[in-house]
Amino acid sequence: MNFVMRMARREIRSSWKRLLFFFVCIGVGVGSIVALRSTLQNANSALVSQARLLLGADVQIDSTRALDEATLTAINEVVQSPIVTRRTDTVEMPTMARPNDESEEGALLIELKAVGPEFPLYGDFTLTDGRHFNSEILEDYGAIVGQGLLDRLNLRVGDEVKIGNVAFQIRGVMNADPGGSTGFRLGPRVFIARSAIEETGLTGFGSRARYRILLSTQEGSLDSLVTTLRSSLKNNLINIRTYKQSEENINEQYTRSENYLSLVGLVILVLGGIGIANVTRVFIEQKKKPIAVLKCLGATSSKITTVYVAQVIALGLAGSVFGIVLAKLALFGVERYFADSLPANMSHALRTGTVIQGLMLGLLISLLFSALPLLRIRHIRPNMLLRNDETPRTRKFDLVRWMTALLVIAGLVVVFSWQAGSLRIGAFFLGGVAVAGIILQLASMGLVWMVKRTRQIHSFAVRHAINSLHRPGNQTRVILMAVGLGAFLVIAVQSLQRNLLLEIDPANRGNLPNMYLIDIQKDQKEGVEDLIEEAIGERLELIPTVRARIAAINDREIDLGSGEMRGDRGRLGREYIVTYRDGLEENETIIAGQMWEPTPAAEPEVSIAEDMRGLQGLDVGSTMTLDIVGRKLTARVTSVRRVDWRRSRTGFMILFRPNVLDDAPTMYVGGLDGPVDDQSRSRLQRLIVEQYPNVSIIDVAEVLQLVTRLLRNVSLAVTFIGGFVFFSGTLILIGSIAMTKYQRTYEAALLKTLGATRRIVLTTVLAEYGLLGLIAGLIGSLAAVALSYTMARFVFEIPWEVMPVVIGGGIAGTVVLVVAVGVLASVPVLRRKPLGVLRAP
Amino acid sequence: MIELFNVSKQVPSGSETLTILHSLNLTIPDGQFVSIVGPSGSGKSTLLGLIAGLDGPTDGDIRIDGESIVTMNEDELARLRGKKIGFVFQSFYLIPSLTAFENILVPMEIAGLRDAQERARQLLEDVDLTARATHYPSQLSGGEQQRVAIARAFSNDPSILLADEPTGNLDSNNGQHIIDLMVEIHQRRGATLLLVTHDHNLAERADRSISLSDGRVVADKLRIASLSEEETAVAEVLQ
Repeated sequence: MNFVMRMARREIRSSWKRLLFFFVCIGVGVGSIVALRSTLQNANSALVSQARLLLGADVQIDSTRALDEATLTAINEVVQSPIVTRRTDTVEMPTMARPNDESEEGALLIELKAVGPEFPLYGDFTLTDGRHFNSEILEDYGAIVGQGLLDRLNLRVGDEVKIGNVAFQIRGVMNADPGGSTGFRLGPRVFIARSAIEETGLTGFGSRARYRILLSTQEGSLDSLVTTLRSSLKNNLINIRTYKQSEENINEQYTRSENYLSLVGLVILVLGGIGIANVTRVFIEQKKKPIAVLKCLGATSSKITTVYVAQVIALGLAGSVFGIVLAKLALFGVERYFADSLPANMSHALRTGTVIQGLMLGLLISLLFSALPLLRIRHIRPNMLLRNDETPRTRKFDLVRWMTALLVIAGLVVVFSWQAGSLRIGAFFLGGVAVAGIILQLASMGLVWMVKRTRQIHSFAVRHAINSLHRPGNQTRVILMAVGLGAFLVIAVQSLQRNLLLEIDPANRGNLPNMYLIDIQKDQKEGVEDLIEEAIGERLELIPTVRARIAAINDREIDLGSGEMRGDRGRLGREYIVTYRDGLEENETIIAGQMWEPTPAAEPEVSIAEDMRGLQGLDVGSTMTLDIVGRKLTARVTSVRRVDWRRSRTGFMILFRPNVLDDAPTMYVGGLDGPVDDQSRSRLQRLIVEQYPNVSIIDVAEVLQLVTRLLRNVSLAVTFIGGFVFFSGTLILIGSIAMTKYQRTYEAALLKTLGATRRIVLTTVLAEYGLLGLIAGLIGSLAAVALSYTMARFVFEIPWEVMPVVIGGGIAGTVVLVVAVGVLASVPVLRRKPLGVLRAP
Repeated sequence: MIELFNVSKQVPSGSETLTILHSLNLTIPDGQFVSIVGPSGSGKSTLLGLIAGLDGPTDGDIRIDGESIVTMNEDELARLRGKKIGFVFQSFYLIPSLTAFENILVPMEIAGLRDAQERARQLLEDVDLTARATHYPSQLSGGEQQRVAIARAFSNDPSILLADEPTGNLDSNNGQHIIDLMVEIHQRRGATLLLVTHDHNLAERADRSISLSDGRVVADKLRIASLSEEETAVAEVLQ
């Protein structure tokens, strides 16, 4: 052992510079995994510790309808028990707000929240002026608003804002929103008193209000309370949630995204691993003679192999430790620049678990990828020292080699599955990486082959450069792989983002509406239609809608708690907006069953969208029972429709044949092409809200702005990760050049001796790296075009355009980068005097 | 004692087989200084390599101290070399990443010797390179490199020292110095010394000189001065 450790130490002393870059790659990979996992785990535990704050209660009773007397009595009975320490009732709904002063313009969609006196049960609700929230602030028609409302409606604290039929005085601006969801928000939050909500006239029929009762309980009595509540409210479409469930949900979501994101880090790590496999191969090639000498001096193959394994372990560990330092730096950066968009009170420390994971990953990847090249040590014969020939290696079946290869693959599957948190995803992902690698390899081999065929090049430098691409021990494939992969990711993300932005650009949206009117009541239908016609000269076609929940499928009642239905909880538990009409819209086609005749139905018939097919066995011929405001209605599925959601002004999952829903409580919606300029659109919105305060207006332009911003952020993040891969590719490039430095120096010296000027040598270098960069850029952009096309057409289902600027820029950027790195790394080669080089051993 | 029984060596050369050594019988007693001479391609280096177990014979048996080495696997051979055989090459073959001192240390570390450091210092002194201990091979002259190689070859106190044209890459002064050194250590430690050389003057200094040509022994002479009276008589008869 002594010998092994000492030899390893001495070898590292002399060769660490050559091996450095590859272990930096390991570092970057380990660093990104550790940083990502630490950040997400920290965010997770911050959120979990705040789960009570996020829910704003220990238990939340949630209903989309006003609670009827019976239900309220049942709840009150339970809640009176001493287990419940505090209670507050809230009502939340999206609605419109407008300045009370009629000379002021504008109307804005807000998220209204009416709260009872005990609010908030948990958490600190502060206002921007430093005051703490107190329900007294809301007394006598007061409101606390989000800053967005003031900005958009041009109001100030002290002004009045009209919501429904009531004017509220703005008494303050809130800091953070206690108990607010962190998701997508359509408009600023406005708080008013619970007691004032009925007066606004917004809670009547058709309102989209959510009624909630928030409870805090004595420590340890949560479960019994929930059990009691559930049993006394059975079958009452009321949702009871505890903060513990929120914790579980948060945990689940975060673990999943953590595992997915870590796979990106793993790709960087694998890229580093490929670099390591390559460097080990070249390294052992260069160390042949010293290894033969060691064998001559009595060292066994296994002992020598151990020496090199020890080096890999040492460097792998060093790389991983470096990666952990990088992760620490990254976390500093996250804290400094992104703290605002992360949960408050979140820790920004490295998580011990992830650090250990990072170290293990770095080590494992280093070992797995160096295993096969290290096996070559066994084949080095000491006899080569006497006879300078390389005895032709007998091409026998090498059992050890095959066993090792199998072990390496098994190891990689384990690593990927471990990181993905699932064997299936891990294996798939590894397979994907392998296929991508093989395709890149084939493409690069093809291109190199083509370049090789181009005869009759007059320039000596270019000819020589082409030869260099396939000289023995060349690094061409690994460089192309590394740089090509980086270029591929960056170009693909960029061109996909541009295609997506093009798609949502209002200029390209054709005649799709830019405003949606919702929550129009039956008796308001005519009035709204007239008003719109007067304002924009076009009659708006309003569509009837009815809100429904699925109560049973094929006579089997929906029980979200049961095992087989739990997986479909999202689709079964949600509320559906259904409509009825005679026939298909132009963006719909029937894919199964038959569309009804445009005559009234004798018995209830529905057509379902493709996405619902198969839900608990739902298909043509099935029956489906819907709960429409307490009334059960069973209908037969007679057709399945494919809906092109992109071309739709509206789209419905469930469509009824006319007649049966005529008596159901109906609300109307409609999309219209309002004025294009913001001011006229805002004026029109104000006009509608003034007359019909309960009608909500969704301004598509605003939503699109939000989506655009979101998209930019996402693609920035992905580009950043692509940049990381690109950076690793560059490191491998530098490392590859460093590995073959001796060969290059020797060659340059020979060329100079044979009469080549430094300029010719430099041109050779330029030509070589220019070619490499060009091929890598071409491979990367070809793959990027393929990926962005596939993603655009089949995932996002949007038309796709070639982005010549992105692709051209990507190729040019790759060439410049590779040439710059190549030339910089070759400067010492050019500087050396030939004699010294040729005389060196 | 080194014994070769009907040892032959053939290698594939294109589509044919080339015979490098024809059925060879040889016995080299302990402590003998043997020179092996012959033109290029006569099989000298191959013979040396076979004795060191760097390569296996196509046919025949080779025994070191009565133990056959042709059935040994690579690792057993490596251990045998570590214990009994020192090797000096024409191109020195020092390990470039190690200092002079460490190059000498390596075989002892492989063998797991306890007083390795101490011995290495002594050996370095023996070859008069104490001042160069921390230099790397690239910082040493050819003669110095070969002296390090000799110290390395002797480091495990082998009973057999094999040298393949050790002066071939050196000028005559340096070459002389190297040979003196090797002979001196050989005498002091009583090791068997097998020296492949082109240099006839050098060959003359050996106790015994074996000439090879086309893979056959064409002459095997004992130097009279090195023998006792009785042995001289026998030798004269034999010759």
